[in-house]
Amino acid sequence: MADEKKYTTVSIPTPLFEKIQNKIKDTGFTSVSDYVTFVLREILAHGSSDEAFNEEDEKKVKDRLRSLGYLD
Amino acid sequence: MRVVVIGLDCAAPDLIFGKLKEYLPNLTSMTEDGIYGRLRSTDPPITVPAWMVMTTGRTPGELGLYGFRSRVGNSYNKIKIPMSTDIKFDTVWDILGKRNKKSIIIAVPPSYPPKPLPGLMVSDFLTPDRDKEFTYPPGLKREILRDFPDYQFDVKFRKPEKEKILQEIFNMTDTRFRMAEKFLDEKEWDFFFMVEIGIDRVHHAFWRYIDETSHLYEDNKEMRDKFIGYFQMVDDHVGRIVSKLDDDTVVLVVSDHGAKAMKGAFAINQWLIKEGYLKIKNDSIKEGSSLEEVDVDWSNSKAWAWGGYYARIFLNIKGREEQGIIEKENVREEINKLKSKLIGIRGPDGEEWKTRVFEPEEVYEEVNGDRSDLFVYLDDLNWRAAGTIGYKTDYLLENDTGPDDAVHDYDGIYIIYRKGKKIGKRIDSSIYRVAPTILELYRVRKRYGIKGEPMEGLYLVE
Repeated sequence: MADEKKYTTVSIPTPLFEKIQNKIKDTGFTSVSDYVTFVLREILAHGSSDEAFNEEDEKKVKDRLRSLGYLD
Repeated sequence: MRVVVIGLDCAAPDLIFGKLKEYLPNLTSMTEDGIYGRLRSTDPPITVPAWMVMTTGRTPGELGLYGFRSRVGNSYNKIKIPMSTDIKFDTVWDILGKRNKKSIIIAVPPSYPPKPLPGLMVSDFLTPDRDKEFTYPPGLKREILRDFPDYQFDVKFRKPEKEKILQEIFNMTDTRFRMAEKFLDEKEWDFFFMVEIGIDRVHHAFWRYIDETSHLYEDNKEMRDKFIGYFQMVDDHVGRIVSKLDDDTVVLVVSDHGAKAMKGAFAINQWLIKEGYLKIKNDSIKEGSSLEEVDVDWSNSKAWAWGGYYARIFLNIKGREEQGIIEKENVREEINKLKSKLIGIRGPDGEEWKTRVFEPEEVYEEVNGDRSDLFVYLDDLNWRAAGTIGYKTDYLLENDTGPDDAVHDYDGIYIIYRKGKKIGKRIDSSIYRVAPTILELYRVRKRYGIKGEPMEGLYLVE
């Protein structure tokens, strides 16, 4: 029962599914689901908005805007 | 039908349709065959929010976006730079994405951090630097840095090295256009929207070489030629983009606001001190100090201001600000009194100014976010506002920070062009018509709460 809650289904076009199937042949990925999960995790790990603007970044942008006359 | 939008930040009608016309064969022939005119910007006519008004069809009030900074809470000096995640309404590419259209979006402010979309996005000049994730999908960043290792989001302005900066701006713009042209050739797209910020930077820093009416005017042929050369490069790229397109593609060239000569900077907080609205505890104040750098006596201050191309004034209201002193029931009276004082400000030689002062509620039906109590256009925007203090005079003929040649003007430009159509009409329009125009060209008739209408005469290009 617990496993049922951990996974859900998303739909992808059949030609894309087949393309992935061919791509992962003879690789460490055992299924299309494994591959798709891996790729999506990779993409989501990038650019998460939590780290989008830390203090140092904000300072960089503010300094630039100040030099351009937008802040004073 | 596809739509290509080329955004030229700050492009001014008097230059593009007038003074520089003969140097810009591509843009000029597009005006001769298409529809063109002045494009009235937002109030305030500021880059952020103007581009988001153009892409969402919402007012700055709805967006809660009034400039390059927002106040955090009701604090006295905590500010926040707008990010893509602050935009709570769908942009035209979000709406088109829901209809299976793929978009290429380049540098439309504010677009950092880039939000996912069907297609690709490169974030704008508010991106901290190239180490950050500035593309969607993330892998695109590597491709950009491989093909365009000099890619820049913006320039930093340093006064003593002006000529070098012009070259930096030239390279930045040229690279962004080359990248855009590569994407148009190689990527799959239904909609394209790019913004080039370099025009704005050139105006602010080098206007004195092109405008004889400016008090800073310099008759310097070499710099004037460089100024024109920059625009010729932009025109050349616009021509190259247009040459790639078929007759089923509509091109829109737009700007978010215009530009005019800056007459000077008015030290607005210094004026508030003189008028008794703002109290500083320090005995002596270093010239050019910001309010953060001095000891403000908040519990005895009624108002303070932010500078920039327009001024924002905040009242210190009891129950709203931490050390607020204006009683709620007196706010109306205080606002009216301050408004009439501001309108009465005269120029350095006692000349009358056409200062405009308004409350956000007077211009927007809906007012969200951290708005100031008053917006002030000093002498109809001819004078910018300096928030810094400690000067001998309130009238600074040079800017307190950054470049000082140009300020913003209300009217930007637009051109609608489609290959094979010979129209040649001038119809002045409004920035609120841009998003409805794009949606109409894709036959998206659902309004999504957008109130504006498509541009007049649009049927002529359809």
